[in-house]
Amino acid sequence: MRFVPCHPLHLVLGLTVWSAWFVVLYGGLSVACQLAPPDPANGPSTWVNPLLWLSTLVVVAALLWAALRLWRAAPDQSQANRRYISLTSAALYAVSAFATLAVAAPVLFLPPCI
Amino acid sequence: MSVASLAGCSAIGLVSLVLAGCSGPYSALSPAGPSAVDAAALWWGMSTFAGLVLIVVVALWLYALRRKPGQLNAQQARRIQHRWIIGGGLILPIASMTVLLVFGIPIGHRMLPLPVAGEEVLRIDVTGHQWWWQVTYPGQGIELRNELHIPAGRPVDLHLTSNDVIHAFWVPRLGGKLDMLPGRTNVLRLQADESGTYHGQCAEFCGAGHAHMKFTVYAHAPADFAAWQEGVANDE
Amino acid sequence: MNDQQQVNARRHREYDRVWGNWPGWGALAAVNHTSVGLRFIVTGLFFFLIGGVLAMLMRTQLALPEQDIVGPELYNQLFTMHGTLMMFLFAIPVLEGGAMYLIPKMVGARDLPFPRLGAMGYYCYLFGGLIILSSMALSIAPDSGWFMYTPLSSSTYSPGPGSDFWLLGITFVEISSVSGAVELVVSILRTRSSGMSLRRMPIFCWYILAMALMIIVGFPPLILASVLLELERAAGFVFFEVAGGGDPLLWQHLFWLFGHPEVYIIFLPAAGIVSTLIPVFAQRPIVGYRWLVLAVITMGFISFGLWVHHMFTVGIPQLAQAFFSLASMLVAIPTAIQVFAWLATLWTGRVVWGLPMLWILGFLIIFVAGGLTGVMLALVPFNWQVHDTHFVVAHMHYVLVGGMLFPLIAGLYYWLPHVSGRMPSELLGRWAFWLVFIGFNMTFLLMHLTGLLGMPRRIYTYQADLGWDWLNLLSSVGGFVMAIGVGMLIVDILLHFRFGRLAPRNPWNADTLEWAVAMPVTTYNFISLPRIESRHPLWKDRQLPEALESGRGGLTDIQADRRVTWGSDAATGEVQQVVHLPSNSWIPLQTGVALAVTCLGLLTKFYWVALAAALIGLVVVLRWSWHNGGHPHAAPLRADDPVSPPLHSRTCDGPGRWGMLMTLLANGSLFACLLFGWFYFWTVSPQWQVPGEAPLTAAPLLISGVLLTIAALLQKRQVNRLCKGSAEGVELGFWISAALALAHALLLLWILPAADLAPRTLAHDAVLAVMLGYLLFHGALVAVLTALQALRVRLGYVRVELPYEPVVLQPLWSYTLTVFWIAFAAFILLPMAW
Repeated sequence: MRFVPCHPLHLVLGLTVWSAWFVVLYGGLSVACQLAPPDPANGPSTWVNPLLWLSTLVVVAALLWAALRLWRAAPDQSQANRRYISLTSAALYAVSAFATLAVAAPVLFLPPCI
Repeated sequence: MSVASLAGCSAIGLVSLVLAGCSGPYSALSPAGPSAVDAAALWWGMSTFAGLVLIVVVALWLYALRRKPGQLNAQQARRIQHRWIIGGGLILPIASMTVLLVFGIPIGHRMLPLPVAGEEVLRIDVTGHQWWWQVTYPGQGIELRNELHIPAGRPVDLHLTSNDVIHAFWVPRLGGKLDMLPGRTNVLRLQADESGTYHGQCAEFCGAGHAHMKFTVYAHAPADFAAWQEGVANDE
Repeated sequence: MNDQQQVNARRHREYDRVWGNWPGWGALAAVNHTSVGLRFIVTGLFFFLIGGVLAMLMRTQLALPEQDIVGPELYNQLFTMHGTLMMFLFAIPVLEGGAMYLIPKMVGARDLPFPRLGAMGYYCYLFGGLIILSSMALSIAPDSGWFMYTPLSSSTYSPGPGSDFWLLGITFVEISSVSGAVELVVSILRTRSSGMSLRRMPIFCWYILAMALMIIVGFPPLILASVLLELERAAGFVFFEVAGGGDPLLWQHLFWLFGHPEVYIIFLPAAGIVSTLIPVFAQRPIVGYRWLVLAVITMGFISFGLWVHHMFTVGIPQLAQAFFSLASMLVAIPTAIQVFAWLATLWTGRVVWGLPMLWILGFLIIFVAGGLTGVMLALVPFNWQVHDTHFVVAHMHYVLVGGMLFPLIAGLYYWLPHVSGRMPSELLGRWAFWLVFIGFNMTFLLMHLTGLLGMPRRIYTYQADLGWDWLNLLSSVGGFVMAIGVGMLIVDILLHFRFGRLAPRNPWNADTLEWAVAMPVTTYNFISLPRIESRHPLWKDRQLPEALESGRGGLTDIQADRRVTWGSDAATGEVQQVVHLPSNSWIPLQTGVALAVTCLGLLTKFYWVALAAALIGLVVVLRWSWHNGGHPHAAPLRADDPVSPPLHSRTCDGPGRWGMLMTLLANGSLFACLLFGWFYFWTVSPQWQVPGEAPLTAAPLLISGVLLTIAALLQKRQVNRLCKGSAEGVELGFWISAALALAHALLLLWILPAADLAPRTLAHDAVLAVMLGYLLFHGALVAVLTALQALRVRLGYVRVELPYEPVVLQPLWSYTLTVFWIAFAAFILLPMAW
């Protein structure tokens, strides 16, 4: 699959990644709490929290990379429609990165399983 | 009277009316325990801010309806538009939410049944039935119906479950509610700051008798509570 | 009449002949989007009024403490039916109907791409709604609340037929919602007029596109949940009972996975109406078009990550709740972007006043208030106090009435001249507005306080002197004021059809294409289709309506009595095909009736009747798919067929393929929910039990899967060859694929009883049984449909010049194959490894 900058599918790809990550975050947390719940007294300093946060950062980085790539690859005003799709998709990737970071942020402060 | 002072008097009148009408046996706005106090504080803070935002947005809208825009070139128009969208659409919500979470997350954390240093928290088991409350004190052989007795000023952990459908345990003046699910046990931490009588009710629709499924919580000063426990044990 | 007018009149007569409805009862066979859309709207308003009456009964009972006008059993039916009617039988159908009416006109098309599907959807809605209403007439209405939590709604605690009416009736109605959504997506993406690229699309189309995709993904969770609960109630399968390893919480997850997106599905089209009306009344293009597109797409996705905020009190750990709390707050950002885009448009525009703007003002005040209380509810510690109280009832009515009803009425007033050719009155309309606005706020503003003072939801009465007395009385009085206002509104609308002054063309001076059609509206919209060079076609060229009516656009002349519209590229809007559409047909009504009888048979437990009706329905549907493409009743090959662009059934791409893809998206959502249920049970079900010996062995399933795989690969090869221009051996190839698929299905049919599953004892086995049934259904379906395609090849309806239908079928093959192997991995391999 080639990375085609102006393909309309980019409009939904970023938030699809967000949605998939959300499922992994919530589902993964639930499974971890069932299999190996850490001691509540440790607060957020467990094995679960850093794992979730680091993997979140990887996803955020990938989304930001996609945003930048599309921003740079946008054609000029002569191809107005393709430029529009490129820039809007780039913005949506950036939005997805922000949303991913925001939703996962509580991982830094809260104990995972109580 | 000028319009402004009339409006001001009405506002004060309305606020007084509302405040006077804020008390009641089931009122979350007349809190008697730390969880309920926190929740009520959140309410007053959030509602004040929300009221301000609503008034400002509506006022801006009404003004915008009447306003005649001057001559604007495309550059100026773009700048004005960006200011509205970024200021109102991005900065306002993000800032408000950050403030809200900074206060709200620690408050939520305080409500959890975490271990208390140097104290064994009293455990009471409550099982919901259609349409009554079965209350037991494990290890003490006490079983009650539709009432609880707790020591005032100390946290109590309620272990909640259900015998049939989903119910919810709620004493508004003491704290939030928690669902009672068949096959599961949920733990709700409550504390009454002062001794007294507090009222609770089922807060999850559970059938024809839902409206009448109520209970009472009696909070005793610690010495009286010990006396009550002994009295009940002797009765057995 | 001058010459041009005579020519126009002749063309209109010609178009009326080809596009017109049959007279008298024959109008029931109409499939065009104007007729079908209006039917949805009128029927929806009818259900709205009934729902309103139920609310008045509730408010009468609650006006004073300890009243006995309505006892608890009846009251429980009242609030269940009020919620069900408003959410399922009013909000979605009216908005979808409005979208079905407007979208083809706004994109410059003559009809929706699957007219018979939309018409069938209407009948499913009508019959399903009537079935649900009949339960009220018989006093056996559902009474477990409109979200039907288990175990209360299961057969143990709700033994009567009420819950079954809900489960079967609502699933029936949802067919109409999903089919309408599929049509809208394909209409917006593939039938836009020449040159209407994505960035030139009216903003309303973006809103509806998002709404439709949300329906496609968001309704199947409820469809699955309803099927599972009905299986539990009727056949004793274990899904939501703790004893066999089930979990009542699974119902809540599945319900709210649907339920939360549902309210955004309701809000988005209404916001689309606001985004359409404000530029017209501000006499300038909407500010921040790209921001709005961003906001709409963002909202569409983020709203799927909120559902647990309806479940903050069930005992889920704090960190998990925090994810949902944050997502619930995040969604306020795209909402705020829209509000400030509207504000900026008004600020920099020259606002012309009109009745629709009054209703939009009401929308702003009420919806923003509701949104603010929504952010409050997203904060978990506060939620724990007000969840399941009248505070939530107040919030929900603020966002639903403010965010949906007010814009809907604004839109009704705005587009009434389009439907009737007459303007509504000002005086009566204004009175109606103020009564509704004041009445609404009187009912629901103080209700926030009622909830904070501790009054729970869904109680039929309350003790005196708890501080709730005067609040409830005021709310009930407000309810009556609002009802009078609604009555006045209905009277205004009805009277205007008779007494309204005649409307000029484009009376509001709007920019979008729907105002270029003749008024009152026709069934075919445009005599000729426009070339689009701007986002605001009617502001750019004020003569466009006359030009189109005079035939100066494209696709003007009628050929072979066919109904046609453009088929275009999804991104650029450049014309690729001529899409031919079906004319009046009784098939939708027949299908609706067959499904209704099936539903009734299941309800009354006359299962043979249900089976017979389902089989008849299947035959009707197969006949429907038969009258397509090259069939003489549809668009048979002719010497004078257009070549550049060609008719869509002569190509290897077209609306049908996209429709299939969208339907499979809905199907995939359902399957994903089944997988979710399986993993959920394994992980958190309170008393999960696995049978001692795995009931399903890998070997027979593996063989079945291999048969299917070979069939699918063979099929793909045949279709590729057909599209490349070679039809040699295609018929034989199709017969072989069909036979292999049939063998696969028969093997599954053998495995099902041979596995000795115990679905009435174990949730584990119940889920496996449903999974097998699902795979069996799809295997049998591809077998039958491919066999029919083979027959069509033999009869000459499918050939090199007509390669389209196998292309449409192809995604179903891919889906069936993919789902089989995923099921194999998840249901067989994973537990083995566990």
